[in-house]
Amino acid sequence: MTTVGQLVFSGLLIGGIYALMSIGLTLIFGVLRVVNFAHGEFLMLAMYGAWAVTKYLGLNPYYSVVAIVPAMFLFGVLVHRMIVAPALDKPHLVVVFATMGLSILMQNVALMAMSADLLDVPPMLGGRSFSFGPFYAKPELLIGFAVAVACTLALRFMLQATYLGKAIRATVQDGEAAQLMGVPVPRIFLITFAAGSALVGLSACVMMPLFSVFPTVGLNFVLIAFVIVVLGGMGSIEGALLGGICIGIVQSLSSYYIAPAFGQMFFFMLFLLVMIFRPAGLLGRKGEASIGIND
Amino acid sequence: MTALLEVRDLTRTFGALNAVAGVSFSVGAGELVGLIGPNGAGKSTLYNVIAGAIAPSSGQVVFKGRPVAGWKPYQAARAGVARTFQIPKPYRHLSVLENVALSALLHERTVAAARDSAGAVLAEVGLADYLEAPVANLTVGLLKRLEVARAIALRPSLVLFDEIMAGLTPSEVKGMTSLVAALPARGITVIWVEHVLYAIMNTAPRIMVLHRGELIADGAPATLAKDPAVIKAYLGEETSLA
Amino acid sequence: MDAAPPIAKRRPQRWRLMPERGTLSLFELALLAICVALVVARPPQYLQDVVIQTFLWAGLALAWNIAGGFAGLISFGHAAFFGLGAYTSTILTVNHGVTPWIGLWIGGALAAVFATLLTLVCARLRGPFFILSTLAAAEVVRIAALNWEKLTGGAEGLAILPTASVANMVFDSKTTYAALMLGYLVIVYAVTKAVEGSRYGYYLFAARDDEDAASAAGVNPLLARTGAMGLSAFLTGIGGSLFAQYFLFLDPTHVLSPELSFQFALLPALGGLGTAIGPVLGSFAITPLSEMLRAYFGGKAAGLHLAIYGGVLVIVMLYFPSGIAGALQRLSKRWRSSNR
Repeated sequence: MTTVGQLVFSGLLIGGIYALMSIGLTLIFGVLRVVNFAHGEFLMLAMYGAWAVTKYLGLNPYYSVVAIVPAMFLFGVLVHRMIVAPALDKPHLVVVFATMGLSILMQNVALMAMSADLLDVPPMLGGRSFSFGPFYAKPELLIGFAVAVACTLALRFMLQATYLGKAIRATVQDGEAAQLMGVPVPRIFLITFAAGSALVGLSACVMMPLFSVFPTVGLNFVLIAFVIVVLGGMGSIEGALLGGICIGIVQSLSSYYIAPAFGQMFFFMLFLLVMIFRPAGLLGRKGEASIGIND
Repeated sequence: MTALLEVRDLTRTFGALNAVAGVSFSVGAGELVGLIGPNGAGKSTLYNVIAGAIAPSSGQVVFKGRPVAGWKPYQAARAGVARTFQIPKPYRHLSVLENVALSALLHERTVAAARDSAGAVLAEVGLADYLEAPVANLTVGLLKRLEVARAIALRPSLVLFDEIMAGLTPSEVKGMTSLVAALPARGITVIWVEHVLYAIMNTAPRIMVLHRGELIADGAPATLAKDPAVIKAYLGEETSLA
Repeated sequence: MDAAPPIAKRRPQRWRLMPERGTLSLFELALLAICVALVVARPPQYLQDVVIQTFLWAGLALAWNIAGGFAGLISFGHAAFFGLGAYTSTILTVNHGVTPWIGLWIGGALAAVFATLLTLVCARLRGPFFILSTLAAAEVVRIAALNWEKLTGGAEGLAILPTASVANMVFDSKTTYAALMLGYLVIVYAVTKAVEGSRYGYYLFAARDDEDAASAAGVNPLLARTGAMGLSAFLTGIGGSLFAQYFLFLDPTHVLSPELSFQFALLPALGGLGTAIGPVLGSFAITPLSEMLRAYFGGKAAGLHLAIYGGVLVIVMLYFPSGIAGALQRLSKRWRSSNR
């Protein structure tokens, strides 16, 4: 029984980290109603950044947060201004294909610049597992999970207690009404998109100690992120955390009891089941999936 | 004489809101019936239920003697119920002619015949000059006329008009009113939601008034205009039928 | 309203220059002539490869467009249909000796059934929800193929014996392959034009543009959409079988990958969604370009051609959303009005 327990525990932790990676995606969808198909490449970019900071400045990858998060925020501003904002008032396939094009562009620029080699940061936390009650966990996993939970709480606080947060929530509920009430909706879009990008940057910093980076790493993770976002409910931050944890546990258990490759298949099937039976996900608004986005 | 459309104790709630509350009426073939009421009275919801866009919470809709509550919109259309949308919903990537031709395809066998038929209908509503125009360029008034054309092209037995006068100039209103008034003679029964009162009060021999989901009046315009409940709910003061 | 002359202007019975719904134009005929010339002229080997791929991809892009452009069902999972077609006909050939000429129909049919089920199951999903579902479905197929080694050979893939014969649909001459692919392209194009000009096409466009209004006009949107997806999958599956017969090797990474799925969508997007000629133009513009870039830069800067591809897609989407076909139409309108 302790094996199952350990697997669930590890799955919980990695799930939290997956969730952190997905929060940006769900936030962007909730507010702007667009799916950023380049989300995985944002992660890839940030991971390369964290790797570079670690390698060339000798810092612990966690400290690279200081550089990476603001950098990714600016990158988000850039992408929003140049690609997303102009596409918003056009048919939604424009933003789908434009972000797809960005994704391909970024993957291949990375390929040209960094080659296809897998890059890692050296383990910096001693390499020992900590015991957490009856279970063991690597410190990197614990830190990542803690960051994920803290981030979720901080975001929730921000959304409830600050004006910006209220403005964001208003925009989510009814963009036109919000605008009529004086909420600067285009700026909210910009801030949200950039914040989503910054969140990806944050997750990259905690993921770098656990994963290798290579040009197409984004593709692996973006599919997981999509599943998490859908499972949790598009636009729901707590949903992303919950969804991430579910996915982490499912993956952990199925990789062990079945084959790692099948693990992936399971969460796509989970995705499809959610789409069929409860497209709004665990915590999303009902009926959303049938409306899709405004065309 | 069996009514063309019969609505029996129809109710539709959204959560705690009674959008339509126990509405009953019947409309005979060849009638021209107005439907007025303040915003939020439930007119669009009533249309949506009759036309199949949403199902009622309770009650019955009987069309041509058949109970049809909960049918799908395309079934309604094929059975002979046409409707316009309050906010026009044109097919953005098709031309004006093609927008109407789609409706005409319900009864025409070939695309070419549907296009011809559509052209005729468009001429009737005064859009003959806009046949090949892309829909994106049209003003609201023109789009409303397009809605009317699409509905007529279905050759329905019953048409539900939803505020088709908005955005029209007074002379256009006159033209549209004569068009609508002539429909019953062509075999098309009309139910007509409208806010442009002078058009509807002078044309429709019978008017129903909806308020907060309930039918509060149903009769001749002259009587209605003096009905205190109607005045209180909607008209605001005695409306002269000039 | 006066009784104005009611008949819509009938178009004059002469040839149109640019492609239009419902008729053939000189442009299309000219393009066909060029394609035939490319087949018959026997260019050097590597160019013939480009021609073959261009024709095949044009057909595949057209097939995708029936769902994505005509019906508005943007799918990032068409590799599933492609792969199903490819693997079905190949497994039937390799394990059961069934000639690919029959196998390809079965592959296409299988793909169509899968697509129909998928569309029905995802009936209520719109926009990005639908797109992501197609992606997930394709991944399920890919991973299944990867792991069901007994049937598909897993990661090692399946190979077709290169014994040339007509019955095997394996040819020594690239010219024959080029003719085969051109045949596929012409057939898919004919189907596309037929749908585009038919009442079914009207139903699709209307359901795509405004589902509620189309419903209110008597169209059953679910039926229309499902049919479009099924047809699209059928044609894509056949393309997959043809690919297998040309490439003679299949593995999940080559025929079931997400990258492949994106390619199916990108060519029509660049060429012009929703038109018949668009996907063809997209393939004719991009496939040779990407082959040439790959050949030229391949070793030196792997990924440059794709990076350019991606960048072009972003620019086209933002500034020319109706693609090459749209740009051509605007040009021809301006040319026509200035020549009045």
